[in-house]
Amino acid sequence: MATELTTTNLKTDEMIINMGPQHPATHGVLRLILKLDGEIVRHVEPVIGHLHRAQEWQGQNRTLFQYQALIDRVDYLSGMFTSLAFAHACEQIDGCEVPPRAQYLRALVCEMNRISSHLLWLGTFLIDLGALFGFPFYPFREREKLLDLFEEIAGQRMMFNYIRIGGVIRDPKPTWFEKVRKFTQEFPDRIDEYEAIVTQNPIVLKRTKDVGILDKQVAFDYGVSGPSLRGSGVNYDLRKVRPYGIYPDLNFDVPLGQNKGDTWDRYMCRILEMRQSNELIKQCLDKMPEGEILGKKQIAGLRIKAGEGFSAIESPRGVLGCYVISNGSDKAYRIKWRNPSFCNLAVLPSLLIGRPISDIMAIFGSIDVILPDVDR
Amino acid sequence: MNEPLKILNQSNELVSPELSDTVTLTTLDKAIDMLSTIVSPIANLARSNSVWPLTFGTSCCAIEMMCVGMSAFDISRFGSEVFRATPRQADLILTAGTITRKMASALITLYEQLPEPKYVIAMGACTITGGMFNDSYSVVQGVDRLIPVDVYLPGCPPRPEAILDALLKLQQKIRTENYAKRRLKGYDQRPVRYVDYDSGRPMEDLLAMAMEETKEVLTKQDNDNTK
Amino acid sequence: MTEKPAEKTEVKLEIGRFGKFLQDNGIKSKRQSDSNNVETIVIDAKDLEPAMRLLKTSSETTLNFLLCVSGVDYADKIDSVYHLWSYEHNDALVIKVELPKNNMTNTQTPCMSSISNFWPAANWHERETYDLVGIRYLKHPYLRRILNPWDWEGHPLRRDYKQLIDALNDKNPHSFR
Repeated sequence: MATELTTTNLKTDEMIINMGPQHPATHGVLRLILKLDGEIVRHVEPVIGHLHRAQEWQGQNRTLFQYQALIDRVDYLSGMFTSLAFAHACEQIDGCEVPPRAQYLRALVCEMNRISSHLLWLGTFLIDLGALFGFPFYPFREREKLLDLFEEIAGQRMMFNYIRIGGVIRDPKPTWFEKVRKFTQEFPDRIDEYEAIVTQNPIVLKRTKDVGILDKQVAFDYGVSGPSLRGSGVNYDLRKVRPYGIYPDLNFDVPLGQNKGDTWDRYMCRILEMRQSNELIKQCLDKMPEGEILGKKQIAGLRIKAGEGFSAIESPRGVLGCYVISNGSDKAYRIKWRNPSFCNLAVLPSLLIGRPISDIMAIFGSIDVILPDVDR
Repeated sequence: MNEPLKILNQSNELVSPELSDTVTLTTLDKAIDMLSTIVSPIANLARSNSVWPLTFGTSCCAIEMMCVGMSAFDISRFGSEVFRATPRQADLILTAGTITRKMASALITLYEQLPEPKYVIAMGACTITGGMFNDSYSVVQGVDRLIPVDVYLPGCPPRPEAILDALLKLQQKIRTENYAKRRLKGYDQRPVRYVDYDSGRPMEDLLAMAMEETKEVLTKQDNDNTK
Repeated sequence: MTEKPAEKTEVKLEIGRFGKFLQDNGIKSKRQSDSNNVETIVIDAKDLEPAMRLLKTSSETTLNFLLCVSGVDYADKIDSVYHLWSYEHNDALVIKVELPKNNMTNTQTPCMSSISNFWPAANWHERETYDLVGIRYLKHPYLRRILNPWDWEGHPLRRDYKQLIDALNDKNPHSFR
């Protein structure tokens, strides 16, 4: 009889595998250098910067008015949020007042954008898990509706340039609000539809339960924020803990992960957040006041006062910060972005080590990283 | 030292060892040349209606590229719904998104791995001129500085309908071309060319350098031993 | 170097809460004018590591959320700015470390100590600041360029950076500005 092949006498060697930058599941151009022992990941080195478009350099070389159009591209899935962070920072420095109607409109479009961003995440996450074509049609169907609504107020499907320093640029027609209300009425049913397919699906459960458990302390150490952090049960949502805009007036709960911070919890957190945003949109529509929408004149030579401002808002991916140093001219002296994806991606190696290679995409998809947000 | 293996093809030209087991089709090629006036229209019709794109997306345009595959716009009406993850099974690169200097070498590698006939649609302002990031230090000012482009598709990002329009224009181009003539224009293509990721130099150059270095070291050792 | 940020008027500011906490623990700091009611202090480069350790772990402060590390290039100095928040409460602090720039060229880098050995959040931020602004963080575990290719020359966010003009980038680089 031949010698029995057991795990004890089987000699394995470490293997280095390069993943990306062209890979269908990395949501762009991330490169991972993996050191594998058989199926198990032993070491990960993310290589980023393949989409480094020099946003910060553009910020200090273009006028503020020009730069407002560029910042939607920092995080293209949630352009409203990047505009909002920049506008907040400039308003802090300048001290200009934002009219209440603009505040409500901002919150309204931001929550709509949060839904559209999470919908795209849902589709791509399922693609990452292997549901290649089929399921993603469902979330994209609703996303198209949202994009049509955005197009009506901003003129573009994704790059809105809608939120400006001092307010918002266009006042939507009354019929637009009716369309939004119609969307909010039918959207909860749609989420039920997704959940019926995904939430208790045995394959999804097998792929996501107990996979990629993010410990609270690790999350704190790496500065993780957003649904990835809340999936671990930490109640940290800037809309609650450091409220900005009109969020103190709105009534909502922050959805938290119930389990222990695994991939499924992060998935569930985002699903609940979509429901929550839908409620917030309804509240905004009900409370929408009349009045002005722009507190600062939008001219090509837009200037703000000299000084420093740091603003942070809760984007779909986490704490999105913008640090602006102005010297009173029409260009900013320095603009620094604190991107949630950049900080959340740093925690990826500690989640992957010790997991089999098939879990990489499940974990990576669940922390919802957008590569231009990482590379800027 | 044993002699390196020499492989000759049918017309007695030297073939590199990597290509030894690929079939050389010189006589068939001549037949295709003669038949191309009859065959091309039929083959072109077939090819133009099944252009398979590569899932190559770097930034914003990639999202619109995903949208065009979904039910609202439905690229499968034009036979291009099969987004392939590997360049070896694709016919078309939609360069969706900004190409930076760090990404440039990877894009060239991808293009060289596409089998002939291959097409490129430069999608979005960034890949045409650099777009809004034209003057950034890290952005390549137009993807046509790296690879040849068939159709330019402006927009930032272009609407999904525009992508379909570009695809139709490309199909028109494919229908009117002659495959034999396209082959003549083609450059010396290798099946795989590995480019060193960090330095951007072809791997074979680096290998040759390393070989020379080891040779030097070995001869030096030999000399030392004889002394 | 024509653009200069507005000169700060030298007003003796009162020591703030966190400044006092650091003073009690033997670390000197200088208060700067607040931005949006957030305390801003300037401390010496050599004091940074103990100060950060204290602020992160002490139960009095627990500023355990490092938002970002940013480098700012001024005419005569380079600042390394740390934005600290807390996961538990609503306090915030901005720490600046000023590094003098004695006629430094674009390829030369000022040095200061790294905090990423005990605070992993700083790791990538410090790499990014090294890449773009050119502050060399000593004792950093892996100080390599992160956004630009590793063989990039110069630090792009310095004011005196001259961008590369070659076959990939030769349209008038100042056309839009």
